[in-house]
Amino acid sequence: MKRILVDVDRCSGCRLCEMVCSFSHENSFGTSISRINVIKEDGFGFDLPIVCWHCDPCKAMEKCPEEAIERRDGGLISVDEKKCVGCGECLAACTIGVIKLHPERKTPLICDQCGGKPLCVEKCPTKALTYTETEMQEPKVPNQVLEETLRRWRIIA
Amino acid sequence: MPKFYGYAGNILRIDLTKNQVKVQPTEESLIKEFLGGRGFNSKRLYKEVAKGVDPLSPQNRLMFATGPLVGTAFPLGSRFNVSAKSPLTGILGDSNAGGHFSAEMKFAGYDQIIIQGKSRKPVYIFIEDQEIQMKDAEHLVGKDVYETTEMIRKDVGERMVQVATIGPAAENHVLFAGVFANLARPAARTGIGTVMASKNMKALALKGTGTVKIADPKKFWKLVEEIDEEAYVHPQYWPRRIMGTTRILMLAEKLGILPTRHFTSATFEHAAKVSGERLAREYNVKSRACFSCVVPCSRFYVIRDGEYAGLYGEGPEYEALSGFTARVGNSNLNVALKAVDLANRLGLDAITTAEGIAWAMELYATGDLTKKETGGLELKWGNGEAMLALIEKIAYREGFGDLLADGVRRAAEKLGKGREIALHVKGLEIIQADPRGLKGYGLGYAVASRGADHLRSEPFIELSDEPGRGLEMFGVPEATLRLAQKGKGKLVRYFENWCAIIDSLEVCKNLAENMELLPFSRAAEITEVTTGFHFTRELMFEIGERIINLESAYLVREGIRRKDDYLPARFLQVPLPNGNSKGAIFEIEPMLNEYYTEREWGLRTGTPKAEKLREIGLGYVVEDLKRNGAARVS
Repeated sequence: MKRILVDVDRCSGCRLCEMVCSFSHENSFGTSISRINVIKEDGFGFDLPIVCWHCDPCKAMEKCPEEAIERRDGGLISVDEKKCVGCGECLAACTIGVIKLHPERKTPLICDQCGGKPLCVEKCPTKALTYTETEMQEPKVPNQVLEETLRRWRIIA
Repeated sequence: MPKFYGYAGNILRIDLTKNQVKVQPTEESLIKEFLGGRGFNSKRLYKEVAKGVDPLSPQNRLMFATGPLVGTAFPLGSRFNVSAKSPLTGILGDSNAGGHFSAEMKFAGYDQIIIQGKSRKPVYIFIEDQEIQMKDAEHLVGKDVYETTEMIRKDVGERMVQVATIGPAAENHVLFAGVFANLARPAARTGIGTVMASKNMKALALKGTGTVKIADPKKFWKLVEEIDEEAYVHPQYWPRRIMGTTRILMLAEKLGILPTRHFTSATFEHAAKVSGERLAREYNVKSRACFSCVVPCSRFYVIRDGEYAGLYGEGPEYEALSGFTARVGNSNLNVALKAVDLANRLGLDAITTAEGIAWAMELYATGDLTKKETGGLELKWGNGEAMLALIEKIAYREGFGDLLADGVRRAAEKLGKGREIALHVKGLEIIQADPRGLKGYGLGYAVASRGADHLRSEPFIELSDEPGRGLEMFGVPEATLRLAQKGKGKLVRYFENWCAIIDSLEVCKNLAENMELLPFSRAAEITEVTTGFHFTRELMFEIGERIINLESAYLVREGIRRKDDYLPARFLQVPLPNGNSKGAIFEIEPMLNEYYTEREWGLRTGTPKAEKLREIGLGYVVEDLKRNGAARVS
């Protein structure tokens, strides 16, 4: 399936992806209501957007006590907001910790790939985000990406 | 709570003496008259910090302000202003920085945060939306900017918290310490970090879950897309993305305006070795950007070989790079990077620090300062080790560093030597561009409301040397010729007004102004569609005019007059000795006359006239100036 991939060396950490995501889905700007989020480590100049990988199997789906997380045709994970009680079990279950709850609705914010034309990819100023056909593989946790990046930059041995 | 489009809608006041917090709605009239950011801060400074208040007393206000376009997809809106009465200059103190702090402040829900009083114990302020905590900072005392930021992130258990902090320099009451966000994003001019320290406050940390709404989303997106496209195809896009402001070093060298060995030369024989081009080729590993910006002009470097191999960090920008290389005669780029890193960690204004060191080096070179007086430091031109040692000594007020820690004006007075070569205006040290080869910039230094500084006007257009533009904009072809003096009054007035609204909208001057992406008309348009309030090109110009006049009135109330709007004698009496501006000298009188005339200010006093102030809605200032006996207003 097609997934949103990140080239961490290209990401400038501007968070524009979060802005276009929040506005297109929620009609206002805010990092708290975005489905893509940038993790930053200023001390290392490190910026990493994280966004749902739509894993198969999905650990959050397995842990959800209300069976509110489902897989749609085409493989995308989505939340049935009617079933969701906002317990937050999915937050800890997700492999890369990408899930967060909407601050008011208290339901998980999960990337829907904008129906096949992700706006964050389109607007990314440095082309750090791409939308690419990719086989399922276990996504790397942010700390692992950080370590590999710092090694490549020769900041750590 | 009344909410606005674009604005957060709240102003937060924290009294550290009384341990009290008060939230008030942002007033619509304040928005319409002053926009936000610098405008909000200057207005409040005038109103709340009376004549004669000691800048380091609890009566001073420390103000953070953001703007209406910040925290959106608008690509220029990432800046914030920090203002207070300056302990360095004794007049208006104000500094501006980019990065990611400003957007977070908006998301936390505040257009302006005012800090007054003085805490009994060291504290840092942690804001999480409506929750405001004064947290114990005993464990942070003496910690540098990087350590403090990291410790606060651990303390509050949140990696993405935004921290604006001071370093040890501020705690040691160095008079030009800054407030640093995102580690290397300094709001460092005029000593506002020292004001924070005087309040027993170490940092302002914040995290917000709020959102920003747009009055007319359709028109907003159309404008944003237009501006994005223009940015991507702009001739400055790649040079800025690759080198950021460090690209200026070689440009300044070519123009013959690169301050070298304390402005005794305008060209540096080692310029290429310390250039932005070399950083890009040998040091930079990636680009970084401010919030929402499509031009990632910040760079992350790693020193791979030689001295300080293994040092890494964000930056540097032109001012610090040029200050720790050409200005002091240092040709070792690694040492310069170490110096910038040190200044950031200790929390110093790199421009003022470099001037102090260069000033001392010139005195040392002429034999007016001895090794005995410097406490054993061999302050020869380009002595990198001595420079690094001196930076630390300044931050900790040790030995000879203690003298420089009060800024170059006081240092010269105290030493009783080098007064005529102390390069400052109104107590603020001059930046890295020689005014003899840039007349508009020079006039800008002379009249700027915070002392010698280019960012109050930055009339970059004179660098084009295209008479057509001067003719078109001001009816004076010479206005845009850098070595001509005619038309500079018109030029500086126009650019000062422009910069005032740019700083009040809290947008980036590199993109808004230098890349000309936000002229007055477009500033009006984007602000109108964002906020829903009506703005026009003319209204924007008038807001700029109002801010400049109010700031000037603040200076007048503190006793500033035409006699203070001067450049140091070096620029007025000594022709540039070399380079592509060779022979140039600065004739200030005709330029000041033209400037005051354009501003409709008194020629003799250099101060705003009552009629002018009333015309732009500052009648209350006229009355106030009269009460304070500061009226040369007629």
